[in-house]
Amino acid sequence: MNLAIEIENITKTYPGVLANSDVSISVNSGSIHAIVGENGAGKSTLMKILYGMIKPDSGSIQIFESNANMSSPKDAINLGIGMVHQHFMLAKNLTVLENIILGIDKPLLKNIKLSKYKSEIKKVMDLYSLNINLNQYIDELSVGEKQRVEIIKVLYRGAKILILDEPTAVLVPQEVKELFKNLKELKDKGVTILFISHKLDEVLEIADEISVMRSGQMIDTVMNNNVSKIQLAEMMIGKSLPTPPPRITSSEDEEVLSINNLSSIDEDGRTVFKNITFKVHKSEILGIAGVEGNGQKEVVESIIGIHPLDTGEVVFRGEDIKKQSTRERLESGISFIPEDRQLQAMIMDMNLTNNVIIGRQNIEKYKSSLGTVKTRNAAKESEKIISSFEVKTPSTNTLATALSGGNQQKFVVGRELEDNPSLLIASQPTRGIDIGAQSLIWEKLRNSRDEGLSVLLISADLEELIGLSDRIIVFYQGKLVKELDADKVSPEDLGGYMTGLKK
Amino acid sequence: MKKIFKTLSNRYIVFMPVLLVLVVAQVETYSQLTTSGTFGAAVRLAIPILLAGLGGLYSEKTGVVNIGLEGMMIMGTWFGAWGGYTFGAWQGVFIGMLGGALFGLIHAIATVSFQVDHIVSGVAINILAAGVARFLNVIAFKDVQYASSTASPRIQGDIEIFTMPFLAGGKIGESETFNLLGTIENLDIFLLSDISAFFLGFLSNISYLTLFALALVPVSVLVLWFTPLGLQMRSVGEYPAGSESLGVNVYLMKYIGVTISGALAGLAGSYLVVAGTGTYLEGQTGGRGFIGLASMLFGNYKPFGVLMGSGLFGFADALQLRSPQAVHGLLIVISIFLLILTFKTFFEKKYKVSILSFLFSAAFLLWFMNSTSIPNQFVYFTPHITTLIVLSFANQRIKLPEKIGVPYKKGEIN
Repeated sequence: MNLAIEIENITKTYPGVLANSDVSISVNSGSIHAIVGENGAGKSTLMKILYGMIKPDSGSIQIFESNANMSSPKDAINLGIGMVHQHFMLAKNLTVLENIILGIDKPLLKNIKLSKYKSEIKKVMDLYSLNINLNQYIDELSVGEKQRVEIIKVLYRGAKILILDEPTAVLVPQEVKELFKNLKELKDKGVTILFISHKLDEVLEIADEISVMRSGQMIDTVMNNNVSKIQLAEMMIGKSLPTPPPRITSSEDEEVLSINNLSSIDEDGRTVFKNITFKVHKSEILGIAGVEGNGQKEVVESIIGIHPLDTGEVVFRGEDIKKQSTRERLESGISFIPEDRQLQAMIMDMNLTNNVIIGRQNIEKYKSSLGTVKTRNAAKESEKIISSFEVKTPSTNTLATALSGGNQQKFVVGRELEDNPSLLIASQPTRGIDIGAQSLIWEKLRNSRDEGLSVLLISADLEELIGLSDRIIVFYQGKLVKELDADKVSPEDLGGYMTGLKK
Repeated sequence: MKKIFKTLSNRYIVFMPVLLVLVVAQVETYSQLTTSGTFGAAVRLAIPILLAGLGGLYSEKTGVVNIGLEGMMIMGTWFGAWGGYTFGAWQGVFIGMLGGALFGLIHAIATVSFQVDHIVSGVAINILAAGVARFLNVIAFKDVQYASSTASPRIQGDIEIFTMPFLAGGKIGESETFNLLGTIENLDIFLLSDISAFFLGFLSNISYLTLFALALVPVSVLVLWFTPLGLQMRSVGEYPAGSESLGVNVYLMKYIGVTISGALAGLAGSYLVVAGTGTYLEGQTGGRGFIGLASMLFGNYKPFGVLMGSGLFGFADALQLRSPQAVHGLLIVISIFLLILTFKTFFEKKYKVSILSFLFSAAFLLWFMNSTSIPNQFVYFTPHITTLIVLSFANQRIKLPEKIGVPYKKGEIN
């Protein structure tokens, strides 16, 4: 079999970090080759080097058995390499067609032959059985469709090698199925696929060969048919896997939060969510499942008072808090982990100590009699969080932006659990962080639950949702469509309810 | 009833005031609202704003906020006057464009290459331009008669004027032709005469420079939406990292957009001089660059939208100049329009807005009934307040370029 890609002894260092150390890998033409590894293992760096976005310090790359010297993505495209980034490289206010043909013509003042392009793209879509409406704006597409546009985009440019960077991270199970069907079709037509992921089940389902990376080094390349999930995981993290402890406590009957008939309509008269009713008991984790944009984010935001409500009541420990300000709610014992740690949870240009104080500047501990802030107490607090949550940071004076994503998130979770709240609202608490940080956060959430904390958990990671929650409610188009027992539901079932296929 | 008001969607409600103006214009006192003279003046007054607005469009579509339009326009006025004095009218227009383009280039260097905040750079350009214009004026016209530190001498020659034959009574050779639209206008038929007057305003005694400026509207649509260059320029304002990954030269596109923006603002400035006063005067632009930005927002980043926005301002400006009496008629237009809004918002269950609209409607009605004219100070203010009111109603669904105002560093993925 021919080799599509041969990478030899690639090394790349950033100031203080060895991103890739002596990495070699060869990929057979017309196969699906997966590269797995934790965040920060160097997968993305390697792919950027392969796509010409970064120049390696040393090492060589061969594409289709001839030397490739790439200095920009344009060179990579010319050699037949196409990349589908994790964050889609699409312009929202342009049409699908415009996004696909962007950059093909030289920027001149001449007429674009739209109909010519249209028929050419249609041919590519027919060849690989991919389908999309070319005249729609990107803004109107679902996540899966956007990804399809990206794939068509690189195929239309004549890509014979497709690099997919964490393609399933943003998809629900049904969309993943669709994607895998498409990928197999592409493979049959002779396209070589490089698939980057840290979800081992998916890798085992789709890949022919699997390469494992850890802290910048290539650990091994194995055939799919003679490796197990546990072996892969151990290669990935370099030690044996922690197994989640079984649930030992059960939730109590006492209702901590009770949501009755909550509805909200936006300015355009569209229903954001309608007639939402649920309860969270003491010592219980209630999971909320839903594809992004189905109202679940707005519901939890309305519980802490940053999203407006039209009707309904929010009862927290027997008291309707609908009229209270967000600050009053937070001070009465509700904690909130927002979904975007860099935009909402922390101020990136402030140090950790100041990030502890934000939102808590009025509580006794941090307020002196003169009304100034007691920084020293906050520093002590942040030291406590750093040690109990194993946050890797030089000091409490380090700016939040200097921490890695996982450490930022551990710090945020630590801060929110610090004051012994009675209710924690956790929105995507482990999104985009490495396995180590993830398992630590899971453990802390479980422990707090066992000590009596109620948790409202939103997550796009269905395994996390099923593994952590006691009960799961599903949102679809602004309505609560289903309540499920977390012990008895599979990710596939959950995905069915989330996309409205199952009722 | 309820249904009628509900289906009166925001798209159509914009045309309600037009209809109301037509009706009110039937009253003898307010007939100046829709004469060809008013429309003609409106076109002349709208052009500088149109050009500034189009300039803003080219810059902002590539993701660069251009609050420096006013400054670039000032450069256009001075360079236009200098070129016009030294070489002649058309050369003045061209040199004015170059002057604006130069300042556009400065804005591009600051915001694109050095990632200076767009507002900071724009404000700096506005301040700088005012100073530079005066400095240049003092230096260039030191010993020239009729020039002072704040005014230039008169330009040489004029831009020719055009009148359409047959439709508007223009000449072919030396012989007069029939004036069809003018005849219809004088017949005073409801709607028909008003429409004739509207077109007569565009076709009679109109400067070739005005026609050139109007032609830039469809040209901009073609350039931005139907050429590879335009596609790349727009993509850069939406998602530069994505464009870069497809081999688009992001910096170059932004440079092109901002420089064209400066050139158009310069053209707007030189229009004020060459087709207007004939001399450079300090403070001549009078904030038209900013109003150009407003008309761009009103037009939702579309060239024909900019045309409508600037036309509206020009119309209000023409009214206040030509017949303050007719401005009084606008009071009843506003009152009735607000009453319609009252019902519309009431059925949409936006009660606060509804009550407010009703109160203002009543206030305007009372004002209208108890006066025969509007104090001069208010009349002078008409165009600005009209722009403000329309902007606040029409402005809720603006589609901004996604990465507008965000500095972009090469090779950055975000």
